[in-house]
Amino acid sequence: MPEITGYAFPNDIHVHWSLMIVMYPYITGFVAGAFIVSALFHVFGREEFRPVARLAMATSLCFMAVATLPLNLHLGHPERSWLVMVTPNLSSAMAGFGMLYSTYLLILVLEVWFVWRQQIIESARRSRGWKRTFYAMLALGTYDTSPEAIAIDHRAATILAAIGLPGACMLHGYVGFIFGAIKANPWWSSPLMPVIFLLSAAVSGIALLTILYQVVAKLNRRVIEGRTVAALARWLWFFLILTVTLELLEIIMLAYEKSESWHIISQLLTTRLEFSFITIQMVVGSLIPFILLGVVVLMDRYLHDRVRNTLCIASSILLLLQVFSMRWNIVIGGQLLSKSFRGLRSPYSPEIFGREGILVAIALLIMPFVLLWLFNRVLPIFGDDKPHAAGGHEPPPVTAPVAGVHAG
Amino acid sequence: MDHAPRPLASTRSPSPPPEAPAAGAATPADPGRRDFLGAAFTIAGGAVVLLAGLDAAASGETHVPPPGGDAYNWEEHRWAYVIDTSKCIGCGSCVRGCKAENDVPDGFVRTWVERYIVGPGGSYVDSPKGGLDGFPPVPTAFTPTKSFFVPKMCNHCKETPCVQVCPVGASYRTKDGVVLVDGKSCIGCGYCVQACPYGSRFLNPATHTAEKCTWCYHRITKGLKPACVEVCPTGTRAFGDMMREDDPVRQTIDHERVSILQAHLLTEPQCFYLHLDMEVR
Amino acid sequence: MEHARHVFRIALVLLVVITAIFLGRGFLVPRSYGTFGPYRADNVAEQMKIRPPAHAGAASCAPCHKAKSEAHDAGGHKAVSCEVCHAPLLRHVTNGTVSGKMPVDRSFTLCARCHRRIQGRPDKFPQVILEQHVTSKLEGAVCLDCHDPHSPKP
Repeated sequence: MPEITGYAFPNDIHVHWSLMIVMYPYITGFVAGAFIVSALFHVFGREEFRPVARLAMATSLCFMAVATLPLNLHLGHPERSWLVMVTPNLSSAMAGFGMLYSTYLLILVLEVWFVWRQQIIESARRSRGWKRTFYAMLALGTYDTSPEAIAIDHRAATILAAIGLPGACMLHGYVGFIFGAIKANPWWSSPLMPVIFLLSAAVSGIALLTILYQVVAKLNRRVIEGRTVAALARWLWFFLILTVTLELLEIIMLAYEKSESWHIISQLLTTRLEFSFITIQMVVGSLIPFILLGVVVLMDRYLHDRVRNTLCIASSILLLLQVFSMRWNIVIGGQLLSKSFRGLRSPYSPEIFGREGILVAIALLIMPFVLLWLFNRVLPIFGDDKPHAAGGHEPPPVTAPVAGVHAG
Repeated sequence: MDHAPRPLASTRSPSPPPEAPAAGAATPADPGRRDFLGAAFTIAGGAVVLLAGLDAAASGETHVPPPGGDAYNWEEHRWAYVIDTSKCIGCGSCVRGCKAENDVPDGFVRTWVERYIVGPGGSYVDSPKGGLDGFPPVPTAFTPTKSFFVPKMCNHCKETPCVQVCPVGASYRTKDGVVLVDGKSCIGCGYCVQACPYGSRFLNPATHTAEKCTWCYHRITKGLKPACVEVCPTGTRAFGDMMREDDPVRQTIDHERVSILQAHLLTEPQCFYLHLDMEVR
Repeated sequence: MEHARHVFRIALVLLVVITAIFLGRGFLVPRSYGTFGPYRADNVAEQMKIRPPAHAGAASCAPCHKAKSEAHDAGGHKAVSCEVCHAPLLRHVTNGTVSGKMPVDRSFTLCARCHRRIQGRPDKFPQVILEQHVTSKLEGAVCLDCHDPHSPKP
């Protein structure tokens, strides 16, 4: 039985939204954040993001594939989850999830198809037996790799990325909306919530790719492009500043307005969330990366490549922690305070085993990377990134093991 | 911008659509044919989308017999509840009655009683087990000048935040003004529990579905009072029908100075309070 | 145009998938869903008979327990329904026949729930400071030594 300080409504003492509901926005955050990175290249033509563009898109897809799992693990009746799609209650923010998720998934899959199509065809031409059948089916039976067809692919990818970007923003902004539109809960109810979720999604996505790019490049023995890392750092710093500013503004507004809920929220922040909010989210997760990234952004030219990359990895890890603690503080924090505004519940600690436990959460975080590895086996991520359209400078050496050799 | 709009343009192909069913067979035919197939599918798909959407959207208001058969017509009632806090003695009979009537699981309540002890030096609120076993005397750090009990329950709001957020339509408000949960559709997401500002809902640990006060819908549709009203020894709780002009509850709501809980949230509760103190939220 | 062949193919696949989804949805929607609004209308009737009413009210006791009932109706506890101190009628009578023994709580704690002096109770309501009111040991059915619960005198 949880302990109560003050008075909580008798039904208000349970944390119904558990660790899985913390994982859910964390994972969809990566979906949106990674897509934003790929869009920086595909839509906005930022050449420095070319080396991560395909990695970002594949990452987005792999996280997308597991995004519904934490939700289903949380539901009391996962076997009925299809009702969300079949009989969606149109006034429910949560029912919107089904539609937004499917639309975005569709766009993402289409874009991946167009971006990787040439490689699918090459793989189909090179392979034999069932493998050939598989790739031929993926290619939908047309093996057109003429310059005109490729041009169409690029065009389609750009258009899809342009549609996908608002799609990704909606998908994640909507997650914030789920919390922000609950007027019963003063710690959630805020129009800033979708914006904060979206910006922190960008932070987590860019941070993840900063790490992933360097790790994958190392594993594939490829050069880590200095300007790519530096560009990621710049954007990371920018989104970090935006996110933390809004996160703080929201609280400062509550305090300055002396809103009726401030009394209980200030207690929440200084007692129950003291460690996870003040220490982790604000100091370790925000202030330190802000300084580290500031060094990278402002003094880049004095930094040795290795120093810069290490600084970026370090701050990215801290930022991944920051975003997780932000999700935790919102989702769990909101349930520690009673809607009576008079009481706080004792802190919630998730179970270790069990459906909504820590082990499952860790498995959920590992799964996208396993998928990414599988994805790379089927559709090599670094197989072909020779410049197109905008015409970059360096056609990097093709070293990935299964990479596409340009067959006739 | 030369390629993307292409499939759309092709829908203007002059051929009429009736051959559409033959579509599946043709695969590597000439592009012109494929254009046509695309068009046919666009049209067919659109029609299906429309039809599928309509059957659910068209609320058959035309003439569907009300649920419940001849015995009870939900269009002839609109229920409301009045709680006179000045009469409550905090015995908890209502909480026990509700539990017995509705098999409320241990640790949860569909109705509960709060005690407020208030003085210039502070305030103290409690509700041990929701008031199930009554209340003990408590020492307070300040000198109380007033103290009182406030029974609480689902307010059966007209503008329900809980029904609004239910993703599958498992929560709904009946025509006679009762907010119910369909236990066979509820997916147990808990969104309604979060959305209720009054803390009236909970997830039943046995059924894993959302549960709440139903105003004893199985009783009121048989002409009985809700169990909590039935067992209240002091007349604190009253239940009535707003469609009956001489109903005492309607009289009270129409003529007395009543309040509702958390009026600023505009949920339009249908539980009305008499003598409510400002300490109560 | 011939180079856009793959675009048409993927568009076709897409349409098939979307059509399948919408056709499939039609089969899955529960039967009475949407009759009165976005919910399963059958549930309204299900809720009406979700369980038999357990409480039957004081009047239902009178036919069998006439004397007790009359005494109760004339006394100071007339507003207290029988089922408050005993139990819901359903424990005792099902479908018009006696199905079980009616439990009753005779302990002082039952009386104390209403009559113990605590903060919160209206002053006019009869209440006592238990420890001062009961001079003997505070246990069991001590209240019943002096008071008749069906028609108590102060």
